[in-house]
Amino acid sequence: MPTREDILEQLRTIPDPEMPISIVDLGIIEQIDLTKGSKTRVSISILPTFVGCPALPMIEEQVREKIGKMVGVESVDVRFVFDPPWSVDRITQAGRESLKAHGVTVPERGSRLAVHGTAQLTTQLRTSAVPCPFCNSTSTYLESPFGPTRCRMIYYCEACKNSFEHLKRLA
Amino acid sequence: MHEVPAHLIEPLKQLLLSIADDKLMLGHRNSDWTGLAPILEEDIAFSAIAQDEIAHAQALYELIGSLTGERADDIAFGREIGAYRCAQIVEPGDGFDWGVALVRQLFCDHFDAMRLARAAQSAYKPLADLAARLVAEERVHVEHADTWLVRLGRGTGESHDRLQRAVYQLLPLAPSLFEPVEGQDDLEQASLYPPSADLYSAWRVEVGTTLERANLRVEFPAQLPTERGGRRGIHTPALAELLDEMCEVYRTEPGAAW
Repeated sequence: MPTREDILEQLRTIPDPEMPISIVDLGIIEQIDLTKGSKTRVSISILPTFVGCPALPMIEEQVREKIGKMVGVESVDVRFVFDPPWSVDRITQAGRESLKAHGVTVPERGSRLAVHGTAQLTTQLRTSAVPCPFCNSTSTYLESPFGPTRCRMIYYCEACKNSFEHLKRLA
Repeated sequence: MHEVPAHLIEPLKQLLLSIADDKLMLGHRNSDWTGLAPILEEDIAFSAIAQDEIAHAQALYELIGSLTGERADDIAFGREIGAYRCAQIVEPGDGFDWGVALVRQLFCDHFDAMRLARAAQSAYKPLADLAARLVAEERVHVEHADTWLVRLGRGTGESHDRLQRAVYQLLPLAPSLFEPVEGQDDLEQASLYPPSADLYSAWRVEVGTTLERANLRVEFPAQLPTERGGRRGIHTPALAELLDEMCEVYRTEPGAAW
């Protein structure tokens, strides 16, 4: 009979389809419920990062497939829930490091709402509180709050002239 | 509250349709700019906003489906025009005028964030949870609209004048956002859509503040109209054209699974 820890271990092998991080490190697994009988029924609650994230159906499919194949599992139920809302603060330290190695930074725990940063577009502020993942300079600025995926914003580093991405804090 | 009393299901559906239909139409109009926006960042921004709005609409249609058993796609694409509940301001195209597009975002995004904040206080927990998530995303759209209004309003003479023209062009349609849906009083009484202080006044303060920072003039209508509009099924010819385009594929094979 699989335990909750066995399920979690399998979930750790599923990467986010658009970022180098496992869905467990991303902090979107909210709850795992096991109903035991002759085999185990598994119910997993997932918090969407963004409502319009196109990766959600892929994540759901992979979770169903991986967990469904486990010995002793009868069925897998995947539900998307909004309570509590997902936040960047749910990303683990290992997840933060993996993202940073790929040029994607994560707001500090407990930092201010990212959306206020867009005011920089108006005032043309040329410094931000977000250090560059490549050279650690803080001579960086928000280029656009809308990046290649719904959860990422684009920053530019004036010191090393690289673009990088920063995850968006909504709550 | 996880169950909606039977007599409130229809009013709640009307409310959810009004929010979702605004988002679906605006998202469709936003996507017109994909590949055509004046700069790359805004091409991405408008495409991302379209993605958000259409996903928000889908989540709201699914919530309706959980109450009525309907499929989200059928709700989105399968209705007669008179059953849509969007406000008339989201119906016309913007004529690919960047100023008109931005001013419409300003008017609609502020309103949308305010009404979602209200829905986030709903006694109906599935709506409150969803709306809390949606309003957090919508605030990024508000910030985006505010930023560009101020930037272009204080930009060149031409950028200022084009925004000013857009404000005057869209102002008569802005009150259409505030028309109540049928049965809204009942929803308010039951705290499914909690009563709020005058939303129109609050909206005028927020939008007026941005316009002032952008050096743009505005005279809001003092009173809201009382005649029936989009929230009660009265639409402009522009919506019929939009639906013909948007629903073309759906109508070829209505029951199809994609």
